[in-house]
Amino acid sequence: MDNTIESLKSTVADLNREIATAHLLSTSEAEEFRVHYLGQKRGIITQLFKVIPHLPKTDRREAGQLLNALRNTAQSTLAEAHSKVAKDSTAASQIDLTLPGRQHRWKGSRHPISLALTKITDIFNRMGFNIAEGPEMEDDWHNFTALNFPDDHPARDMQDTLFIDEGHQHSSHILMRTHTSPVQIRAMLDGKPPFRLIAPGRVYRNETITYKSYCLFHQVEGLVVDEGVTMADLKTTIYSFAQSFFGHDVKLRYRPSFFPFTEPSAELDVWWELPDHPNGGRWMEVLGSGMVHPNVLQAVGIDAERYTGYAFGMGVERPAMLHYGIQDIRVLYENDNRFLSQF
Amino acid sequence: MKISYNWLTKYVNHQWPPQQVGNALTMSGLEVEHVDQIGLSLDGVIVGQILSVQSHPNADRLRLCEVTLGEPQSLQIVCGAPNVEVGQRVAVATVGTTLTLHGKSIKIKKAKIRGEISTGMICAEDELGLSDDHDGIMVLSDHSVIGEPLLDYLRRECDLTEDVCFDLSITPNRPDATCHIGVARDLAALRDVPLRLPDITPPSSTGDMDQHLDVEIHCPELCGRYTAMMVQNVTVAPSPPWLQRRLESVGLRSINNVVDITNFVMYECGQPLHAFNYDLISNKQIVVRSSVSGEEFITLDEKHHVLDSGVALICDGHQPIAIGGIMGGKNSEVDDSTTNILIESAWFDPSGTRRSAKSLGISTDASYRFERGVDAQLQPWAAMRAVQLINEIAGGSVVNGIIDIHPHPQPLPTLDLRLSRIHAILGIEITHRHVTQILVSLGFHVDEKTDGVLSCTVPSHRPDIFGEIDLIEEIARIHGYDQIPLHSHTPLQLPAPLARPSDQARDEVVSFLTGNGFREIYTNSLLPDDVASQFSQGVLGVEAPPVRTLNAVSSSMATLRPSLLPGMLSVMKHNVRHSQPVLRFYEFGHVFHQGSAQSTFLEHYSEYDALLIGISGPLNPSSWDTSSRMADFFDLKGDMSLLFDTLQLNPFEMQFHDQPTEITEYHITLATENLRCATIAKLADSIQDYYELPHPVFFADFNWTRLLELYDQKPPTAFTPISLYPIVERDLAISVEESQSVGSLLSTLQTAGKPLLKEVNVFDIYTGDQIPAGQKSIAFSLRFGADRTLTDKEIDRVMQKIVDVLSKQFNAILRS
Repeated sequence: MDNTIESLKSTVADLNREIATAHLLSTSEAEEFRVHYLGQKRGIITQLFKVIPHLPKTDRREAGQLLNALRNTAQSTLAEAHSKVAKDSTAASQIDLTLPGRQHRWKGSRHPISLALTKITDIFNRMGFNIAEGPEMEDDWHNFTALNFPDDHPARDMQDTLFIDEGHQHSSHILMRTHTSPVQIRAMLDGKPPFRLIAPGRVYRNETITYKSYCLFHQVEGLVVDEGVTMADLKTTIYSFAQSFFGHDVKLRYRPSFFPFTEPSAELDVWWELPDHPNGGRWMEVLGSGMVHPNVLQAVGIDAERYTGYAFGMGVERPAMLHYGIQDIRVLYENDNRFLSQF
Repeated sequence: MKISYNWLTKYVNHQWPPQQVGNALTMSGLEVEHVDQIGLSLDGVIVGQILSVQSHPNADRLRLCEVTLGEPQSLQIVCGAPNVEVGQRVAVATVGTTLTLHGKSIKIKKAKIRGEISTGMICAEDELGLSDDHDGIMVLSDHSVIGEPLLDYLRRECDLTEDVCFDLSITPNRPDATCHIGVARDLAALRDVPLRLPDITPPSSTGDMDQHLDVEIHCPELCGRYTAMMVQNVTVAPSPPWLQRRLESVGLRSINNVVDITNFVMYECGQPLHAFNYDLISNKQIVVRSSVSGEEFITLDEKHHVLDSGVALICDGHQPIAIGGIMGGKNSEVDDSTTNILIESAWFDPSGTRRSAKSLGISTDASYRFERGVDAQLQPWAAMRAVQLINEIAGGSVVNGIIDIHPHPQPLPTLDLRLSRIHAILGIEITHRHVTQILVSLGFHVDEKTDGVLSCTVPSHRPDIFGEIDLIEEIARIHGYDQIPLHSHTPLQLPAPLARPSDQARDEVVSFLTGNGFREIYTNSLLPDDVASQFSQGVLGVEAPPVRTLNAVSSSMATLRPSLLPGMLSVMKHNVRHSQPVLRFYEFGHVFHQGSAQSTFLEHYSEYDALLIGISGPLNPSSWDTSSRMADFFDLKGDMSLLFDTLQLNPFEMQFHDQPTEITEYHITLATENLRCATIAKLADSIQDYYELPHPVFFADFNWTRLLELYDQKPPTAFTPISLYPIVERDLAISVEESQSVGSLLSTLQTAGKPLLKEVNVFDIYTGDQIPAGQKSIAFSLRFGADRTLTDKEIDRVMQKIVDVLSKQFNAILRS
């Protein structure tokens, strides 16, 4: 080989032309190309690098640059060929896109009661209500007395209370709360007005389990106490809630009712369409409400002349069952996978 | 509480059709739960007269009747009634008529009955829907006109035929609404028309009554007032049709004229009455006293009762004859032979009646009303109303005068009502005039006290009205809640409520679990006692006996759950039984036990929020190139460490228990400051078998309340700048004794590698040919980093230190 920079330049130019026109269509052609130009021992470009030490010192740098560029070109041509060949081998004719994807887990799910509770609390959160909590085991004072239930009043008959066995004492002062309303009392004793809170939770009834009643269910309680709060504020709030929950075109009815801890008291009914019903549907009670009774405010040491407030409470199961078309309440507590997977 | 539309209309000229009345009552506080149409499609039923009666040639019990409907041609009708007689005027269902009997429609056709033609039917009362009487055909009075529709006759003679019955749900604050006059009063207030009451003037003095009876009240705390009147020489007989219809329209059965009148008056004005057979009252004396524990008594319904003390007893000179306010006795009952009637019209204390009715297990129309509170001034009026009706219907003569024992008459309370307060509570303006009109219509006496303040005297029929707020409710419900406007804007309360960090912790965990294929369940908080006791275990954080209920309706709900575990195991069992093998569940819920160790609210009891996560059965679905395998402990442990990472809660003190407990095969306890936060465990095989579960069960039980406290104490996340310098990776393989736990190697290694060592993973554990017997090889991958470029030399030094420490502490041998 002629050891001059000029002959090297012309060799490199020839090789560049050769490489540029190379057509590498398969893995074996690419491998041939690699061995021919870049092979560790006999590769043309590898061999050319061995010339450099024999060149005049002044030319060696230029020769190095030339050969490096040539090697890069060869390598990228090779890489291109490899990727093209690889792409071809996984072409559409060979991959079955209809195969199901791999699933490493089954789908999880949330319980419908939980979904309904979240939906309710979310709406009130957006209206600026805070969340409060209380125990499910309560004493008589928080559950009844402070809420203006007289000792021996028929109002206590409205609730079948489950009492706790306190052993030797038999005082019947501890019970499973019959409503979430005692959370109102705990919240008001804990802080100072204004209050604006909701309390979701589990409540108990001492009832036999049937398709339409269970020994426990869930409620969301609401309480607002401030200066200048009126029944118009109450009605506005719960109508807004019902429109968010049931839809803006929901038909509502607001009628007088009775709860010992509110006065005036009211029940909110929703018109539920039932195609098979002779009247085309019927009114369903969804929410009890009223202005906080002055006796309740007094029981927790709030000036009932200065502050007024409202409270409301609703069951969760009933609207959830209506919404999902569930007829038998027991299915909620059976937790069959085939039931759970629908939510 | 049943209210008849026709009856109601007697007391108020409302001019509303039934539907509008029902709607108005609901919207003013007396919710109409059901509306029943009573009767009566009697089209085609005509008044006829029986011209002749012959026996049926082919049937002993049947007879052939010739009946005229006033037309030239008479009809032959086959009839089986025993009371059919020539000359009777009867109700004839003509051919083509449809009657409803026991809820079924029957169409009358021309038919042959045992070979004889029958063109129509002579009807009994039950066949016409008038009563349940099927003793014989209905015989009409001489006032009937042959050939006229029966309906015309009934309208004229009995005053009611078609009616509507409203079934009202009466709230405990409305004792006044347990009668027709009370409901009519609301209707009169709503329509602003007068209430029309029967014109009754009770006697004002004892008159001749004291010659017939002596009354004493020994227990004024139970019986506040006792009035009595008498009618002599009455004829006890069936009630006239109008009275029977009235009672039937509210679901009562007619008994006889005297008893029916007492019921009628109770449903009219709300005052329960009792009619005694005067001749059975010994010594002509009545004493009202409190019972002594153990006394025995037989009530009208022939039930034998052993009484507690404190029950109001009506006694004659010899023995108890009635339980006051609840039910009369068998021994003084009015029957067909009774001629002298004593009417009791008394007032019994609501609490006392409630206690007695509860202890006796009896609820009657009378006790229902006394429990709620009967008008304390109504007794003479009701007694007079009853004796007048008895006199009219059953004849005899009314004894002049009334006995009225009223130990402590109470004045009517007077309350102040500020007009400004109405606006402050309701948020609407109601005119002074309208406020007064409503209150006066409801029976209040209203005086203007000072400017803007009304002085209102509460009528005796409203014992539930105690304060100004009660008056405001009365005004609101009559004015109408519909009149309360909806705001288009509502003020926003500022500052916005503070959110606790823990509010979002639950959302994060729920998202994590749902995303990882866990299904949320809700289970019963009440368990059978033996189950609750079995799961009251320290390993689940329960250090004391479970909490038992006093009065559960079923032993399956006797005790509060100390843990969520038994509930979840039952759910697993249910699913396995129904061929649902994938068991991956979680539940949030309160758990309970005795002792105040974890109490936040009540003394002597612990209640806190728990989270339980459980897995059993296949871990993943099998696929075309992936096979399914059964979940194991490390699947759950791995998920749980991701869960803690999600909450950024780490590290915990971990205690490893490889020995079985009563409910676990092995478990890890996670704690901080010696307080348990969580237990990750394999369920005991015996319990797995008991719940018939085919695969091992692994569960993680959290004290969620405790976890939230930790979450709230956690310092806020602060960003650490990402290092700009490269990470260096090294592998390390050592062999140690086979029994050596990996956990202690890992923590030693982490300590020894500080501060350059950033991460360690176990990527291989091997025993076998390449390794001496009794040894295992463990391979770690290590990642080093610092705020500079690390040199090989530095890393070699750390690696050497790690190897030295491991070999010194664990006799680890470096494998090359």
